[in-house]
Amino acid sequence: MPLIDPSVVDLSRLQFALTALYHFIFVPLTLGMTFLLAAMETVYVITGKQIYKDMTQFWGKLFGINFAIGVATGLTMEFEFGTNWSMYSHFVGDVFGTPLAIEGLMAFFMESTFIGLMFFGWDRLSKPGHLAVTYLTALGSNLSALWILIANGFMQNPRGASFNPDTMRMEFNSFLKLVFSEDAQAKFVHTSIAGFVTGALFVMGISAFYILRRQHREFAARSFRMAALFGVISSLAVVTLGDALGRLDYLVQPTKIAAIEGLWQDSDAGGSAAAAPWLLFALPDQAAQTNLVEFGIPYVLDPLVAHSFSTNIPGLISLEKQAGPRIKKGIAALNALQAYGKDHGAAALATFKANESDMGYGFLAQRYAPNQDLSKITPANQDAVVAQAEKDTIPNVFVTFWSFRIMMILGFYFVGLFAFAAFFSLKNRLERNPLLLKLCVWSIPLPVLACEFGWITAEAGRQPWSVYRWLPTFQAASSHSVGYMVFSLIGFALLYSVFIAAELYLMFKFARLGPQPHQAAAPEAAPAPMFAAPAE
Amino acid sequence: MELYVVLKVVWAVLLGVLLSGLAVMVGMDMGVGTLLRFVGKNDAERRVVLNIIGPHWDGNQVWFILGGGAIFAAFPTLYATSFSVFYVVMILLLFSMIMRPVAFEYRSKVDTKKWRGTWDWAFLISGALPMIVYGAAFGNVMQGVGFHYGWDGQYYQDESFIFYLLNPFALLCGVMSLALSIQQGGTMLMLRGEQPIYGRARKAAIIGGVVGVVLFIIGGFWVAHINGYAFTGPVDPGAPATPLSGQTVAPVVGAWLHNYAAYPILWVLPGLGVAGMLGAAVMNLAAKPVLAWWLGAIGWIGAIFTTGASMFPFLMPSTTNPSQSLTVWNAAGSQYNLSWMLFFALVFTPIIICYTSWCFYVMRGKVKVEHVADDEHSY
Amino acid sequence: MGKYFTFVGLGLVLALALLLAVVAGDYGPWYFAWMVGTVMIVLIAGCGAVLFDAQHEKGEGEI
Repeated sequence: MPLIDPSVVDLSRLQFALTALYHFIFVPLTLGMTFLLAAMETVYVITGKQIYKDMTQFWGKLFGINFAIGVATGLTMEFEFGTNWSMYSHFVGDVFGTPLAIEGLMAFFMESTFIGLMFFGWDRLSKPGHLAVTYLTALGSNLSALWILIANGFMQNPRGASFNPDTMRMEFNSFLKLVFSEDAQAKFVHTSIAGFVTGALFVMGISAFYILRRQHREFAARSFRMAALFGVISSLAVVTLGDALGRLDYLVQPTKIAAIEGLWQDSDAGGSAAAAPWLLFALPDQAAQTNLVEFGIPYVLDPLVAHSFSTNIPGLISLEKQAGPRIKKGIAALNALQAYGKDHGAAALATFKANESDMGYGFLAQRYAPNQDLSKITPANQDAVVAQAEKDTIPNVFVTFWSFRIMMILGFYFVGLFAFAAFFSLKNRLERNPLLLKLCVWSIPLPVLACEFGWITAEAGRQPWSVYRWLPTFQAASSHSVGYMVFSLIGFALLYSVFIAAELYLMFKFARLGPQPHQAAAPEAAPAPMFAAPAE
Repeated sequence: MELYVVLKVVWAVLLGVLLSGLAVMVGMDMGVGTLLRFVGKNDAERRVVLNIIGPHWDGNQVWFILGGGAIFAAFPTLYATSFSVFYVVMILLLFSMIMRPVAFEYRSKVDTKKWRGTWDWAFLISGALPMIVYGAAFGNVMQGVGFHYGWDGQYYQDESFIFYLLNPFALLCGVMSLALSIQQGGTMLMLRGEQPIYGRARKAAIIGGVVGVVLFIIGGFWVAHINGYAFTGPVDPGAPATPLSGQTVAPVVGAWLHNYAAYPILWVLPGLGVAGMLGAAVMNLAAKPVLAWWLGAIGWIGAIFTTGASMFPFLMPSTTNPSQSLTVWNAAGSQYNLSWMLFFALVFTPIIICYTSWCFYVMRGKVKVEHVADDEHSY
Repeated sequence: MGKYFTFVGLGLVLALALLLAVVAGDYGPWYFAWMVGTVMIVLIAGCGAVLFDAQHEKGEGEI
C-alpha cells in the first residue's frame, strides 16, 4: 500500500504549523488579559473609583480587537484535524476528541456567552454581577486552554488509552490518567501563565507609552502598577514551570530533551556526567551528527535537566541506536496486525500483542520497505531498512535547540524587566526612568515571540511523532492531492494576512487614541463602595 | 439491549440535537448576516441589525465548534473521513466562517464607507455560504460519497470534488438550508428591531419560510428516486466500531424510505418539519415573531431528524465500497469514551441552557438607533 | 432574605473551592498551584492599585 505523497505531508504540516502559530499570536493575550481585566474590575467594585472602570473598559476594548481573531482562527484549528489529519483523527479520535468536545461544553460556551455580557452588559448588570461575568470569562478562556493542553499532553505522553486491534485505533480507558497526566498539568500551567505574562507586558508597555508622552497620567500609572505586579509573579512562575516541563521531557521524551540541549553524545561521554556543559551556543549539524561550533558552561547541564549531579543523559546518537531493536519489533507488530485484520486469527493476535508497544516504530520503517510494504521485509533486507528508519527517530536538532534558547532567554529577560518595572512603580520613580519605559514599549511583542518559540520547541521536539511512539506524523496526514493543499494554503495566507493587517491597524489606532476623555468626564452618581457601609 | 448499543443510539440522537442546535442558533445569526445588506439601507440601520445579535453571536457560534468537537469524540471515524473527503467545501466553509468574528468586531471601529462596506460584504458571504454548505453536506451524505479504507484505517478518496460541489440534490438542500436561516434570522430581527427594519425582515422571513417548506417537500419526493443504502447481511450493532469489516451493504433505490415503511410513526418528523416552517411563515405574516421563532426552530428540528430517521443507522454511505459505509454502529467511539462524554453532556447542557437563557434575558428588549450610536461598546 | 441567600451562595462556593482544592492537591499538584497562584496574582495586582491610591492620596505627586 503506497504512502501519501511526501510533499502533501509537508504541505499539511506547513499549513497546520502556520495556522497554529497564527492562532497562538492571539491566544496568550486572551488568557492573560481576561484575568488582568478581572483584577482591575475587582478594584473598581471594592473601591468604587471610576478610574478603574475606565481602565477595565479601555483595556477591554483593545482585548476585544485581539479576541475576535483568536476566536476566528480557533475555528480553523478545531476542523483541521479532520480536514488534514484524517488518519490521526481516526487513530486517536476516541481519546483526543473527548477533551476537545469537553472544551466546547465546559469552557468555550462559558467564555463566549459571558464575553457578550462583559462588553454589552455594563448598564444592565449590577456591579458584582458584572464582575462575576468578567471572572467567568477569564475562567472560561483558561479552562479552554486547559482542555486543549490535556489533548496536547496526550500527544506528548500518551496516557489513558490503549490500542485495540479490533478497531485499529487507540481507545480511551482512563479519564483520570488523561486529565491528570503530568505533561498536561505542567503544560497547562506553563501556557496559561505565559499568557498572563503576555497580557501584563501588553498593558504595561502601552501604559509606559502614555507615561512617556505625559498622557492619561493617572490612568497609565495605575495600569502600569497593576500590570507590573501581575507580570512579576507570572514571569517567575513561567520560568519555574518551564523547568518542570524540561524535567518531564527528560523523563518521558528523551529525544526531545537531547535535541533541546544539542546533545549528540551521552552526557557522561567526557568522563563524568556532572561536568557536561550546558550549551549556550551551538550550530548543530544533523547529517554529521555533531555540533559544528559549540560553547557551554560546565557543571550546569545535569542539575538543570535531571536535577542531579551523577545521572547520565542519553545523547541523540545512542538514542538512535536504541531505536533499532524497537523498529524490528514494530515491523513484526504491524505485519501481525495486518494478518489479524484479514483473518482475526489467534496466532497473529499473539504475535501482535508481544510486539504491541513498538508498533509505532513499525510505521517509521514503512516508507523504507520495498514498495512501502512491510510484508516484503525479509531477514536479508531488514538491516538496511532499520538503518534508514533509525535516522528518522530524532527531531530536527537545530530548530529545537534554537527555539528553546530564544524562548528561555526571553523568559529570563521578562523576569528582569518586570522586577525593575515593579520596583520603580512601587517607588513612584517611573518618570525618572524613561529608558525603562522605552524598553517596556519595545518589549510588547516579545512575549508573543516567546510563546511561539515555546510551541515550536514542544512540537518540533516531538517529531517524528504526532502521537509520541505510536503514530508518526507522515502517517497521520490525509491523502490529499497537492492541488488541494495549494488551494487551502493560498486561501489561508491571503485571509490571515488581511486579518493581521486590520488588527494591527486598529490596535495602533486605538492604543494611540488612548482612553476617551468623555469616559472619565462622566462620573457616576455617588460611587458607593461595595463592602463599606453597613447601611440598607 | 447491551449498554454499548444504547450509548451508540443515544449519541446518534445527540448528534441530531447538536446539528439542530447549530442550525437554529448559528443559522439565525447567518440569516441576519445574509440579510444585513438588504434590511439595513443605511449605516445606522445596519449597526442596529448587528447589535441585535451582537451580544449573542459568539455564544451561538460555539454550537458550531461543539458540533465539530462532539463528532470528533463520539464518531471519530466519521469526523476523520467526512472532513477530509469534503476538503474543498470544508475549507471554503472555514474561510467564510472565520471572516465573521473579525467582521463583527472590526466593522464599526472605523468610520469610513469603504471599510464598513467591505465588512458588510464579508457578512453576506460568511452568512450565506456556510448555510449552503451545511445543507449541501446533508444532501451529499444522503447520496453517498466515494471513499474506501486501507487495512490500517487510512481513507482513500475515489471521486473528484466536482461531484459533491455541483450535485443538484445537494444544491437543493443547500438552498433550503439558506432559506430556513433567512426565516430564523428575519424573525430574530423582528423580535428586537423596530420599523423600518422590522417590515423588511418580516418580508424576508416569510419568503424564506415558504421557499424552505416547498424545497423540503420536493426533496421528500426526490429521495424516493435516489439511491439509498441497506444492509444485505446480518449486522451486530454492539460489535467493536470499525468500518474495515463486519457488514455488507448495497445501494437500493428508495431505501431511505424503508425506515418510514417499517415504522409509520416516523412520519411525525417530516410533519413537524412542514408544520414548523409553514407555521412560522403564517405567524410572521400575523406579526407574531416570538411564536414564529419557536415554530421555525421546530421546523429545523423536524427537517434534520427527518433526514436522520430516514438514514438511520447510516451516517455516511460509500458509493465505491458500500460495505465500508459509515454507520452509527461502526463509526462510534468506544463504550468508555461514549459514557464519559454522556456524563459531561448531561452535567453541562443544563448549565449551558441556564446561562444562555439568562444572557438573552439580560439583553432583552428592542435595539434602537440612538442606543447604538451612544454606546461605544456596540458593534 | 437577600443577605441570607448571599451567605448560602458564598458558603456553597467555599465548599466547592475546598473540594476542588482537596482533589486537585491530591491528583494534580500543578493544577492546584495554578488555582492558588492565579488568585494570588490577581489579588496582588489589585493590592498594588490600592497601594497606589494610598501613596497618592495627597494630590498628584510623582508616578
